[in-house]
Amino acid sequence: MPGIEKTAPRRAASAGRSSKLGLPGPAFALILIAPCLLLSVAVIGYPIFDVIRMSLFDVSRTGVVREFAGLANFAKAFADPVFLQAARQTVIWTVCVVGGTLLVSVPIALILNEDFYGRTIARTIVLLPWAISLAMTAVVWRYVVNGDFGTLNMTLAALGLPFENYPWLADARMAFLIEILIGILVSVPFTVTILLGGLTSIPESLYEASAIDGAASTKSFYYITLPLLWPFMQIALVLNVIYVFNSFPIIWIMTNGGPANRTDILITYVYKQAFAFGKLGNAAAGSMVMFAILLVFALVYLFLTKSQGARNDD
Amino acid sequence: MTKAKKSLVCWALLSPFLLVVLFPYATMLSTSLKQKDEIFTFNRTWLPRELYLGNFAELLFEKGFGRALANSLAISIGATVLSLAVAIPAAYALTRMRVPAKGALTNYLLITQMISPIVLIVGLFRMFAYFGLVNSLLSVIIAHSAFFMAFAVWMLQSYFATIPKDLEEAAWIDGAGRFSAFVRVFLPLCLPGIVVTAIFTFVNSWNEYAMSLTLLRQVSQQTAPVQIAFLTGTLYQIEWHLIMAATLLASVPVAIVFASIQRYLIGGMALGGVK
Repeated sequence: MPGIEKTAPRRAASAGRSSKLGLPGPAFALILIAPCLLLSVAVIGYPIFDVIRMSLFDVSRTGVVREFAGLANFAKAFADPVFLQAARQTVIWTVCVVGGTLLVSVPIALILNEDFYGRTIARTIVLLPWAISLAMTAVVWRYVVNGDFGTLNMTLAALGLPFENYPWLADARMAFLIEILIGILVSVPFTVTILLGGLTSIPESLYEASAIDGAASTKSFYYITLPLLWPFMQIALVLNVIYVFNSFPIIWIMTNGGPANRTDILITYVYKQAFAFGKLGNAAAGSMVMFAILLVFALVYLFLTKSQGARNDD
Repeated sequence: MTKAKKSLVCWALLSPFLLVVLFPYATMLSTSLKQKDEIFTFNRTWLPRELYLGNFAELLFEKGFGRALANSLAISIGATVLSLAVAIPAAYALTRMRVPAKGALTNYLLITQMISPIVLIVGLFRMFAYFGLVNSLLSVIIAHSAFFMAFAVWMLQSYFATIPKDLEEAAWIDGAGRFSAFVRVFLPLCLPGIVVTAIFTFVNSWNEYAMSLTLLRQVSQQTAPVQIAFLTGTLYQIEWHLIMAATLLASVPVAIVFASIQRYLIGGMALGGVK
């Protein structure tokens, strides 16, 4: 009994303390969130404002913002054939990498969800590309496919195939294809992780029930696995579109957008405009176009997760 | 089908992909142990002539790659500490307290996570230039924290939500203040989640390329990935044996650490339901 007598006054005391400090719940919660929000608004919010401003003003090479230019920067960007070419290539890049990633990831996730010997090792290897800097991956692959000294041609030649000195990156189409394949390779780990998360959340009892009802395993795949995995596939799709659309190091390091801008995508175009040619207004206009597209994808993602969250919470 | 048979089928089906994943590692390992004349020759083989470690020594002592590794380490530790310092209180408030405009806040954080820094790189560069922070490691630490923090908040939130509230409340009843309950009861329980988040942030920061490339303009300040890419840009014969040694040094330790948290990542994704 002394226990109760002891705790009651303390509880009252602690309630008194917090009100004395003048920190009611919501205000205190905001104080806890403030540093996080401040950092984000300063480092992400301000540059957004600055890029919007630069895209609408005439900006000198050194970055001095001069008079208001309306949409002149945008008009200039859209009149630039390289910009249009980069935009087209961005669509090809994004569609191919994301589509390829899902096509490869779904079977891999299904296999890794099975119970087999050495599964942990297999999972670790599959996730490995995620651990490595995209920049370093790009450097290593640039060497792998190097025509004269690379290990790919060395291996193919050793197998008796006629690729002795084949310069993989010299032809724009082949170079872009290789970049797309590497883009798929580095996107698979993240996608498989999401899908595995989804697969492990499917209760085993569903399969047992359908087995008892005499359903074949292909049937339970179509009627249980796929529908329950579908929301995760949607999320993986949208997140991958966002990441791949933004992806910079692979193309920048392997081909720098060349030969003849034929592997440029919007992000490498913008970077070149800003840091190689000093056309800051152009770069800002290009950035704004990308930003607007990204915002649309982000909203799609929010919508997807919200509608799913609502379903899960019921 | 027996488990052994099934295992064989699974490995066989996975093998093409595994081969592609491991090919670059084999390349790194093989090339970094070779001497220069073994690379620029007609009769090249996978196996190096001998276990030659001179490339690593040359890289660290003559090419100053140790400096790049140190820069990367400083930035990654700084960014991890700063992001966790702001993310832990925020995640705690979001899971445990009534926060005004909570939905708008989480949405804002989610959207920042999707904006690539490169889209804003011009603005970022100008801002840090204004404060005189270009060519200072601090600029990259701040930039990394801002961009990686949202993910940290999200991961921490999903771990925090699994800790039963009763334990903290019991501590309050026993007379502990909210803060001491947080430090003595709550934090130790979430330690695994915090460690995984820290490792993930560290790896992200260690691997980041575009911001480090843009904000640090001097060779002495380059991070490991930037310096490695920089070494491929020489006008003369590219010294692949050194570059592969560098990628091996910069990636293998991180890959091992990352592999150790792999289990928790899949668990975390399932926990959070990718919200």
